[in-house]
Amino acid sequence: MRRRAALALSALMLLTACTGQQHDDPGSTPTAYAPGTLRVLASSELSDMTPVLDRVREDTGITVRPTYIGTLDAVDLLARGEADGTYDAVWLSSNDYLRLRPDAAEKVVSEMPVMTSPVAIGVRAETVKKLGWKPDDVTWSRIERAVRDGGLTYGMTDPARSNSGFATLVSVASALSGAQSALTDADVAKATPRLKEFFEGQQLTSGSSGWLATAYERRGNVDALLNYESVLKGVPGLTVIRPRDGVVTADYPLTSLTSSNATAREDVRRLAEALRTEPVQRLITERTHRRPVRASVQPAAGLDTGLRRELPFPGSRSVADGLLDSYENELRRPSRTVYVLDTSGSMEGDRLERLKTALTGLTGDFREREEVTLMPFGSAVKSVTTHVVDPADPRAGLDAIRKDTAALSADGDTAIYTSLEKAYGHLGTGQDTFTSIVLMTDGENTAGAKAREFDGFHAKLTGARRDIPVFPILFGDSDHAELAHIAELTGGRLFDARKSSLDDAFEEIRGYQ
Amino acid sequence: MLLIGGVVAAVVAGRHADNAEDRATATRTVRAVIGSEKAEFFADPDVVKALAAKGWAVKTETSGSWAMEELDLKGYDFAFPSGKAPADELAGKYRVRQPLPRPFYSPLVVLAHRGAAQVLAGNGLATLEGSRGTLRMGAYLEAARHDRTWQQLKGAEQHGELTGTVYIATTDPVSSNSGALYLAAASYVANGDRVATGDADLDRTAPLMRKLVSVQGAQQSSSDATFRDFVSGVGNPLVLAYESQVAAVLNEGQDAGDLTVLYPDTTATSDHTVVPLTERGRAFGELLGSDPELRRLAVRHGFRPQGATAEFARATAARTAYLNQQLTGVRQAPVPTSEVLHEMARRARG
Repeated sequence: MRRRAALALSALMLLTACTGQQHDDPGSTPTAYAPGTLRVLASSELSDMTPVLDRVREDTGITVRPTYIGTLDAVDLLARGEADGTYDAVWLSSNDYLRLRPDAAEKVVSEMPVMTSPVAIGVRAETVKKLGWKPDDVTWSRIERAVRDGGLTYGMTDPARSNSGFATLVSVASALSGAQSALTDADVAKATPRLKEFFEGQQLTSGSSGWLATAYERRGNVDALLNYESVLKGVPGLTVIRPRDGVVTADYPLTSLTSSNATAREDVRRLAEALRTEPVQRLITERTHRRPVRASVQPAAGLDTGLRRELPFPGSRSVADGLLDSYENELRRPSRTVYVLDTSGSMEGDRLERLKTALTGLTGDFREREEVTLMPFGSAVKSVTTHVVDPADPRAGLDAIRKDTAALSADGDTAIYTSLEKAYGHLGTGQDTFTSIVLMTDGENTAGAKAREFDGFHAKLTGARRDIPVFPILFGDSDHAELAHIAELTGGRLFDARKSSLDDAFEEIRGYQ
Repeated sequence: MLLIGGVVAAVVAGRHADNAEDRATATRTVRAVIGSEKAEFFADPDVVKALAAKGWAVKTETSGSWAMEELDLKGYDFAFPSGKAPADELAGKYRVRQPLPRPFYSPLVVLAHRGAAQVLAGNGLATLEGSRGTLRMGAYLEAARHDRTWQQLKGAEQHGELTGTVYIATTDPVSSNSGALYLAAASYVANGDRVATGDADLDRTAPLMRKLVSVQGAQQSSSDATFRDFVSGVGNPLVLAYESQVAAVLNEGQDAGDLTVLYPDTTATSDHTVVPLTERGRAFGELLGSDPELRRLAVRHGFRPQGATAEFARATAARTAYLNQQLTGVRQAPVPTSEVLHEMARRARG
């Protein structure tokens, strides 16, 4: 009954921050191959390569059209053959996981690492001081001790959705298990109590590195971030530390595919070659804080060149997936979510059916220990039902959620703000969980509290309640400005189910819960 | 097939007389799948020029040498894996006549930073002469057999990065030639200085070979990737590479920092072997080995041309601090047949 680590493709960058560069969403209609343009499945943090790719386009005439995607999703897509004819290259932070899957690995021709970045911890300067840390001496065990004894808190991305989270998880598990070589299932089992303790310090989770940094700056009460060095170097005020007992390093292999045509593969090779020229390597390290793979180019100023042990990435899929599975179901703090669901009259028919399908689909993805509250509303909140996925009997909770979902019916007006206030009231404080609110509505607010009143309500929230983000989903005729404001006000993020589907939006939000 | 190609080229040339590539009398273009370690050679503008002077142009794609078997090579003129064993396998599959052109070769070496090399030397696992040295394979394999960690070696405590099991990071032996050649050399030593030839030898060496691979966890699929990682500062203390990769960087005049090149006292050599799939491919392969200018350029990229060693020695005279030009004290382990080596790699990966 445990959640499968490798997810079906769906949860993706539905609403990516505008990078000024053209990019596609994985759910969107495939673009046809056009000579000179490479359709590339890429890790989302590569959006910082835009100026570099602009330069390479000038040099080579090759345009990169990225589609941002998490590692596991990319590997699934390759394995199912869905990248055949749809993409010309894959460019993830690492192919370590890809190579553990023979059905995906066989789709790959050549892999050309372009730059590297190790996992690191970025810590607020005042926290470094308070803890009395000398950056060169910090180990994962010391970080663990600071979590346990000093209340150190941090944010990291969801390992099941983000490359940086996965690499961080492997680093932490390798170091804290005391494994002397590649992780085994036994190492993970042995380290579980220490890992649990370590992950008690995680106060922020995110489906992407970009939102993690934003949420960190907004919250102001989280001490540190775990991510790639290159990402952390871009966040102001952080002291970036590569733990002394080892790291996992991303090497960004530009990867060509067996399914693409010879011209496209030749362009991928030329692109890799252009990215490895001296001037471009210099541009990469200066602009993106990644490390060059060419001996004649020095890492940018501020990138410490002291050596660190490279912690081996698991050599088998069962270990890698097992580690992800323990993280989701056992190691991390559980999530606690209120789904505020518009079931007003306008949802009648097809829309309500789509909501039911999406929610039912989502029950396959809830983690053990997770608390789910359904709060359907029309002119007011219609009912409040809470279910917990009990590890002893996960099926019972999931069945109950499905049953409540099936019983939803559409009528009434749309009281968005009154319902949100009620959700905040329900959540209260004091529980050790990742707490959030998901708001799905197909229209604008027509009943109950007004936007202004909700602003006032939110301003009066205190403590942990203030930190609860609302993740609104654009659907049907909902009002973009209204929902964007709610996301902005509460520190959430807006998701768009109009461009792809409600299933995809719910699925993507999972990374933030 | 050649005839058809010629006709097409003539027709195209008639329509686009300005396209140099297709001018019927001038450039012959060949397509090839090559091992990643030769990508820079073929991309070198001087190589492109030297080839053009002889009337050739080449389009390459890289692939792990053993992975070439999985590719559909229709439309290619030759494959250029980095070893004799995968080349023979391909030659068998495509019924290519022997002998195959072997224009150049390169021995396997182990890269280390000075600190790691000194710790190995201080514990009898290596001998050093400045920035080059010899890795004692017998002692290394003995350490591996006993899961020796860096912490158990004298002197390692001065280097924070030297912790965990002592191992050489290699490519995946199932898909990549350098990883497979590593097992060839290691199994030769583990098998009492005899090349593994059958089930009994495979059984005897399997546990150690499995250990050498499994401690590494996920492996890269190409020697280019492991080498790039090392250059970039990714911290595997010991990394398997081709001598050619190091020599090429040194030939660029780069400061090699605290790089130390360890030659295993029993090593295997990659014979870069052309598997012609068309007559053009064969002619091209023969040119690579015979043309003095192309041999000179191969040396610049760190390869040792077949035959005389003088060209390599002359060109690397200034790099003897790192390179063992005459391969003094280095013994070549014979490589098992491709069938045996494949099976060895498969079992090692588990």
